[in-house]
Amino acid sequence: MYRQATHAQTLTFQRSPALLKGEEIQTAFAFDLDGTITRAELLPMIASELGLEAEMRLLTELTMAGVIPFEDSFRLRFAILRSAGIDRIRSIVSQVEFDPDIEAFIRENVERCFVVTGNLDLWVQPLMERLKCQFYTSTAITDAEGRITGLDTVMRKNVAGLELKERFDRLVSIGDGFNDIPIFDVADIGIAFAGLHSAPDALISVSNYVALDGKSLCRLLNTL
Amino acid sequence: MSPVKHAVIAAAGLGSRLGHGKPKCLVEIEGVKILRHLLSLLSDVEDVRVVVGFEEKEVINEIRKIRSDVMVVRNPGFRATTTLHSYELGARHIKGDCLFMDGDMLIEEASFKAFLASCKPNTPRLAITKTKTRDAVFTTIENGIATSFRRDDPTEYEWANISWLPNAFFSDIGNTAVYEQLRQFLPMETQELIAYEIDSEQDLSLAKENLHLFSLSALAS
Repeated sequence: MYRQATHAQTLTFQRSPALLKGEEIQTAFAFDLDGTITRAELLPMIASELGLEAEMRLLTELTMAGVIPFEDSFRLRFAILRSAGIDRIRSIVSQVEFDPDIEAFIRENVERCFVVTGNLDLWVQPLMERLKCQFYTSTAITDAEGRITGLDTVMRKNVAGLELKERFDRLVSIGDGFNDIPIFDVADIGIAFAGLHSAPDALISVSNYVALDGKSLCRLLNTL
Repeated sequence: MSPVKHAVIAAAGLGSRLGHGKPKCLVEIEGVKILRHLLSLLSDVEDVRVVVGFEEKEVINEIRKIRSDVMVVRNPGFRATTTLHSYELGARHIKGDCLFMDGDMLIEEASFKAFLASCKPNTPRLAITKTKTRDAVFTTIENGIATSFRRDDPTEYEWANISWLPNAFFSDIGNTAVYEQLRQFLPMETQELIAYEIDSEQDLSLAKENLHLFSLSALAS
């Protein structure tokens, strides 16, 4: 809900003009969604339910290998999946399992945890309701009946990251894929998450930490 | 219960004196990688952080196989910095005391556990071991207290590259060896343990002559 959100006004937090010594640093935590908070990648999961697994797998492989830029890849994935009704997609998405430690951390720190995902606002709606924190997503265009007719914005995570840096003293970013590289670039601390699968070398090369499961990730986050 | 809640293992270096072309923590002895041996000794410590640099991907893959709740800390500047920098990176954001150790040694379990059990909050403590080589940080001990370090003129004990220290000891560091940083905080309490650091082929041979000390067979797969 990147475009329409009024979240900048909804939070009471004010960034301190000058951080005094001993004053607590206000930290924002930006989590990737697919494969970080969720224990499965959402788009392949949807594709599998729709019988489009092979097409999606090929596209994912090409994207992971860096052959297709993330933005083009997302447009192609969207084109593959848009034929499915939104209710069908939401019902599939709502079944996804969360990493229990990460979910608990977000619940305990809901005011300073954010989900920054390339996924589409209307598709991940059920997860926004479950996590109750703010989401930065790609956005869809809908017609009068609420049907998706096209893509409005494709998430560029560095933009969301820079916005969070305006509001907080420090940004910690957690993610597992190529499209997290731009937000790691603007974050103060980048944590590559290699819980579901190993993280790409390119992401690791711009990270400060590599977490191999949700438990150690949240133990670290609690010290930051 | 040991008060040791945090441990940092420095495993970023090239290990060029040993010259096996891989990080020393991945060197196998009796079918057991040194890293597996060290992590097994730290099984009761909740927060273990391994600082990686050289061949980090290999080290990360190994950590994943052994214990997935170990946090990997990257030291991309490993070629230009010392172990001191890895310690600082590893312990950054930890509040209070932390166990620091190098990732290139074999340690006898009972003496290591005794060291962990003897650690007390806000009380720096150095592990020392009987001097084995000429290339060590020799430690002068008076009534169990380390009073000085030196690199020449061997004493009975060397610093084992294992320490229990407040994180604040690393708040202001230069590009120096760890013992040079620690020197300013002497005197410190010590405890002896049995450890064999592996810097060279000679060290490796010596450790292999004493394999009975390390119960590696239980870890060999």
